[in-house]
Amino acid sequence: MTDLIVIGAGPAGIAAALRASALGLRVVLLDDQPQAGGQVHRAPAGTRPVPPSPEARTGTVLRDGLAGSAVEARPGHQVWSVSADFRVDALGPEGPCHWQAPALIVATGAQERVMPFPGWTLPGVVGLAAATLLLKAHGIAPGARTLVAGCGPLLGAVAAGILKAGGQVAAVADLAAPADWARRLPAMAARPDLLARGAGWAARLRRAGVPLLFRTTVAEVEATATGLRARLCPVDADGRPRPGGTVVEADAVAVGHGLLPSTEITRLLRVEHAFDAVAGNWAARLDGDGRSSRRGLYVAGDGGGIQGAAAAPLRGELAALAAARDLGRLDAGAQDRLAAPLRRRLARAARFGRAMAGLMAPRPGQVEAITPGAVVCRCEDVTRAEIEAAAAEGAREVNQLKAWTRCGMGPCQGRVCGDTAAALLARHHGIAREEAGLFTGRTPLRPLPLAQLTGEFGYADIVLPPPAPL
Amino acid sequence: MSSSRALLVSFSFDDEPYEGSAGDSLAVALMLAGRRHLRDSSRQGAPRGAFCLMGSCQECVVWVDGERRPACQVPLRQGMVVRSGTIGTDTP
Amino acid sequence: MTQRFDAVVVGAGVMGATTALHLARGGMRVALVDRGAICREASGVNAGTLTLHMTRAALIPYAMRGRELWLDAPRWLGMDAGARAAPGLSVAFTPAERDMLEHRAAARRQAGAPIELVTPARARQVEPGLNGDIIAAAFCALDGHITAYLTGLAYRRALVAAGVALFENAPVEGVDSGDGGFAIRAAGATLLRARRLVLAGGVWLERMLGWLGLRVPVKCLINQLVVTERLRPVMRSVLGIANGLLSLKQFGNGTVLIGGGWQGIGDPDRGGVEAIPDNLIGNVRLARHAIPGLAEARVARIWLDLESETADALPMIGPLPGIEGAHVIGCAHSGFTSGPYMGQLLADFILGREPERPLFDPARLIPPQPAASLESIP
Repeated sequence: MTDLIVIGAGPAGIAAALRASALGLRVVLLDDQPQAGGQVHRAPAGTRPVPPSPEARTGTVLRDGLAGSAVEARPGHQVWSVSADFRVDALGPEGPCHWQAPALIVATGAQERVMPFPGWTLPGVVGLAAATLLLKAHGIAPGARTLVAGCGPLLGAVAAGILKAGGQVAAVADLAAPADWARRLPAMAARPDLLARGAGWAARLRRAGVPLLFRTTVAEVEATATGLRARLCPVDADGRPRPGGTVVEADAVAVGHGLLPSTEITRLLRVEHAFDAVAGNWAARLDGDGRSSRRGLYVAGDGGGIQGAAAAPLRGELAALAAARDLGRLDAGAQDRLAAPLRRRLARAARFGRAMAGLMAPRPGQVEAITPGAVVCRCEDVTRAEIEAAAAEGAREVNQLKAWTRCGMGPCQGRVCGDTAAALLARHHGIAREEAGLFTGRTPLRPLPLAQLTGEFGYADIVLPPPAPL
Repeated sequence: MSSSRALLVSFSFDDEPYEGSAGDSLAVALMLAGRRHLRDSSRQGAPRGAFCLMGSCQECVVWVDGERRPACQVPLRQGMVVRSGTIGTDTP
Repeated sequence: MTQRFDAVVVGAGVMGATTALHLARGGMRVALVDRGAICREASGVNAGTLTLHMTRAALIPYAMRGRELWLDAPRWLGMDAGARAAPGLSVAFTPAERDMLEHRAAARRQAGAPIELVTPARARQVEPGLNGDIIAAAFCALDGHITAYLTGLAYRRALVAAGVALFENAPVEGVDSGDGGFAIRAAGATLLRARRLVLAGGVWLERMLGWLGLRVPVKCLINQLVVTERLRPVMRSVLGIANGLLSLKQFGNGTVLIGGGWQGIGDPDRGGVEAIPDNLIGNVRLARHAIPGLAEARVARIWLDLESETADALPMIGPLPGIEGAHVIGCAHSGFTSGPYMGQLLADFILGREPERPLFDPARLIPPQPAASLESIP
């Protein structure tokens, strides 16, 4: 018997699993990667040296902690279905398997938002988060000479990491101005360690003579005979392109515009979601301990709203305490006593995380600036012009748009295009994002090899319901 | 720095031989081997390659020993036979 | 001032939208009301199977005409909704299925479907992707498939062009009858008035008929549907099994849709809630058994389609007894195939023309009602 299933073995999920287990709950922890740690504390592949970092050290500590605990950790398991009664179906190294429990903590983290531009689909253009992963798990840069662009703290981390890994940085193009960063200094002071690291990255980039271009965006990338050519364009405070610009030659582009909570499972289970206009994203509506609107379902970490890696383990522990209490395994007094210090620390950590999220919130001009020919839905090659045409014919809601254009109908299941498509619809009709809606959650949560779903079988093994009427 | 202990293995992509480090994902091995164009999109027939590297975007899907898999989620193994993930373009 | 119409249709699926379209083209001022957008329930999410192998015998003449209309959509609807002709096969893997196949093919042939029994070898010529283990097959040249998700766009264009007043995202709370017409209530107020009423709410018809004080049980089936991502061509037919528990087709974009009426969880209140994993596995195993090439596919999406059924499993199409000007249309098995035709028949009836084929009198399903004042119904 399992008391609690935790999906996602990043900092939030691991902390939730360890805390729940320490309280005596039987916990299963599932993750699709071969080793626990999530993207922030991703385990090195072991193929070449990676630079030491606080995240890497914490990752080792977390994995050791799991190994020494009673948590049934199942890395390498891709969850494809979660039912209303918390039956969780996964594909593991040994094929299909499932667990069921009265409580479920979703700790699936965030995914990256990338605003479309012509050429963002070219091979060699990768997400900033993807570049981070190359650096810290594999010790390599995305290319020999990389343009780093977008917004948020990953810009500096990736650019400095590329230099450290022996690569060249063609330029760093930041949507923000130095003043935008300065405005967030008071909130960032909550994490002097991270502030110092940020300053270190900046110094390193300056020493290497990397052009740091503020209030600048990638307008377009095209393939050349030898690599990629990017056209950079100055923007105003709202992200609107201004005249001028420059061209940069590179062989890779790492670009990202912030993070979006992964809401596949909470959408699938149809809990209430809310649109956060400041951060510019949707997340499940939660109480302070991570309880969703569905009894027994909790969300911990960035999947419940972007607050950052420092907040994640605190949110994981709080969700575990809430689950233990709701399962009758911890009395209310004990939960409050144990949660109080966590809540205080979370308030501090979340302030930093939200300041970063604010820096990465989409600027209105970014959506406006998407060119008609730019592909928005990569799976189905649906362009902005096609989305606008559907909107002009009356599509107001993203699921209707999906039916009319196939935007979001491909194998990524709308993860990459959903937010942009909704922003375009909302803008076209002058309606709130709430009205433009969210893609309905569907199984499988990732494309599922059909042969693995069926297994090997004979015709007699198929249990047939009664025949349809004549 | 952690030590490097990469074991070199050979694999093929569209019948061309490549080498890579066991332990890297197939997507990373292909990237390091200079093979970034992994498939063509179905409607525009435009070149695509690894993008998110986290198993989310499905851009790096290829055929691995006859199975359709995102290259970023497949650990590289000796003798892997990999083919472009191109399906062909849609017919009306 | 409340708007007045000659007719209001409640429910903007294929049945309701077709009726509204033809009423408007017949010269009426028509309103079409739906709690959501056009064709976003069963009409937009069904399997898109145009096949006589799975059509109830009594509906075959309607389905044959409906299929022609779908294939001819560019002419009368103004847009290609993706309907394509394809050879239809129903196959048997066991002696029991063969017996069922022969019996059912004969019954449908008698009802006018050009279904013929063919040898397994002939079936494999029609469908080279087919499993060699089949022991019997039936063939129908008049089958096909359609991308159901495009129907909303196609109908919306046609309805707008025909001047139908669209009230989307307007959940109707009730209908008041009297004063020589009907008042449609939504959001706590009278949305519009019309002299004639057509209820076309699929699985929600039981509730809608309740607005008029009529009690007609409507069963709600929760059909599971599965679609793969794009795949090299692995099949070219519309394929089923004698027991009706499989429908398979590959669209021009390479995706393969797996259906067959395997049941998931849901109801008219909550809609489709979730698939049942064991039913999913059974359905997909049948599909892979029939077309072994599917083994290399990946499942991209699973969803649910709510299908309605009356007590005798035949549709309700026609005037409602005792309520002047009120009509109903819906609950047709394979109703998506027949819908464009059935809507046209009801519109003809309302416009005072002789319908080409008989309607399906709803009075047969309505027990004599106690005399109640319609105005008193909440």
